Amino acid sequence: MRMIYCSVICSASLLAIPLTASAADYSVDSSTILRIENRDIVGAKKETLLPVTQFLGFDANNLANGNLSLHFSGWFRYDLSDKSYNDDDLNGSFTYGYLQYKFKQANADIRAGRFFVHEGIVNEHVDGLNVRTELPMGFGFSAFGGAPVHTTHLYGESSDGKGDTIYGGRVNYRYKGMFELGASGLYEGKAPKLKNYTNGDHRQVGGDVWFSPHKSVEVMGHSSYNPETKRAAEHSYLVNIKPVQQLVLSGEFNEHRESSYLYAWSMFSGAALNPAELSRSTGGSVSYEITKNFELSADYKHYTREIGNADRYGTNARFKFMDNSVRGGLGYHYLRAGKNFAIGTNPSASYHELRGYVMHDTKTYFAAIDALAYFFKEKIYDEKSAWETTASLGYHFTPALALSGDISYGRNPQFTEETKGLIRLTYNFTFDGKGGKK
Amino acid sequence: MKMFKTSLPVMALAGLILILAACAQMKALPSLPDSHPEALAIGQQVNCSECHEDQQKGTMKSFAAFSHSGAFVKNHRFYAASDDRLCSTCHKASFCNDCHTNKVEMKPSTRYGHRPDREMPHRGNFMTLHKIEGKLDPASCYRCHGRANNERCVACHR
Repeated sequence: MRMIYCSVICSASLLAIPLTASAADYSVDSSTILRIENRDIVGAKKETLLPVTQFLGFDANNLANGNLSLHFSGWFRYDLSDKSYNDDDLNGSFTYGYLQYKFKQANADIRAGRFFVHEGIVNEHVDGLNVRTELPMGFGFSAFGGAPVHTTHLYGESSDGKGDTIYGGRVNYRYKGMFELGASGLYEGKAPKLKNYTNGDHRQVGGDVWFSPHKSVEVMGHSSYNPETKRAAEHSYLVNIKPVQQLVLSGEFNEHRESSYLYAWSMFSGAALNPAELSRSTGGSVSYEITKNFELSADYKHYTREIGNADRYGTNARFKFMDNSVRGGLGYHYLRAGKNFAIGTNPSASYHELRGYVMHDTKTYFAAIDALAYFFKEKIYDEKSAWETTASLGYHFTPALALSGDISYGRNPQFTEETKGLIRLTYNFTFDGKGGKK
Repeated sequence: MKMFKTSLPVMALAGLILILAACAQMKALPSLPDSHPEALAIGQQVNCSECHEDQQKGTMKSFAAFSHSGAFVKNHRFYAASDDRLCSTCHKASFCNDCHTNKVEMKPSTRYGHRPDREMPHRGNFMTLHKIEGKLDPASCYRCHGRANNERCVACHR
């Protein structure tokens, strides 16, 4: 329990930070979470888990001449009882930490440190430098370079399969808020040689588009090409039509050539996948805001793979009352999928999904109930269903400091029976007089 | 070759003039504000059109495109890929990285068990379901677990 006290003290010590703030804007987000779990896994001994995790985020804006900011986020965990996950009692992650200089013009900025890049077809986690700016006449430019952030080593390897350098960027052109065209690419250094997996170098180029000929119509998406396989990797497009503000009709098309798109996924030896393998999904949805407090939606998606076809369809309802302090939702979906998608030798992978939740959030207390159930067409590991229900109750000591607890119980094929408890101390403080961010 | 050498300084000068002209033009392109001027309520499905007239400044897209309808939330990846600076006026990076990160300590839906209204991946017993969903749409797994956040995958997929 000593660690919990330490974490609580750590969180409490952060209360002092805003007091030292001057012209700069600071914000601190701290969550200390103690989980209490009893696990009963089929064929294994029962376990009691008591991991305590400290999540910490810190942002300092308007530093120096007002253009500089510092951002940090990370967590660490300590197991007070049985090991909750891997062989380590203590674990942690430095999620991001960077200095950002924002220019007053052209949305130009420079980031240095550890950050995420989302630009066109590029989605990377990088230790390095990122420069972005808009240019005259509707053009824009972004470039990044550095080292990819490495992740867990693959089994039996001393590497995660990533190279040691990465760079890339995007150029774009926008015309009067009517359309945008982008071209992006990335180049990762040579992937390490692996003993047990077929590895591939991570290199992609692609283009993206956003087109809105009228404010009620939007077409957007991207295509990527893998120069290593010399084949297209992905096409992903979405159409939104809003005949009236409350009604959104959407259509989507996604296609992936797996040997190209998953080429650098060492864990599944993406580079060794069958070049003929093609996955496609097409679908549509309708969502309608019947009143400001009630939204109804329905969706359908058809999946096509070499191993078979599947369909998913369903409906969701969302509501809110009492000035947004009561929020809730109900949903039903059905997946129709044949035996090639099934677990083991089951003749079907089809299942029904049902979910319902309601929550009440006030300035003093907050409470929520969430229930989710899956009903399988064919039993999985001799279980006909999987379900979990969670109840949560919390209290705000101050607008920034809250203590809450969750308890959940469920049964499922994987863990016959799962009982979980959680105690959460959160401290989210923004020393900023002009709105803020979530 | 001689002609190339002679024209090199001229080209360099022209390039410099072009860069200076571009820099001068960029003063006419004001940046987005660092943060939204008013605090937005937590858990609200923000409708930008409620306050913002649907009119673009410069090359900005229509504000209506960013209203957080259910469809927007489901497809936010398309918007984030080209307009994450607009996202960042209201959201901290950590808001995205609650789900999109290199190493997740616990499922986001567990960390935010008190916020069932937030769209979070893998609620409930996804351990069983991933054996079906992974065959159905492996690309959707790859987006988050292909290049990062693979610790849970590596534990079993050997």
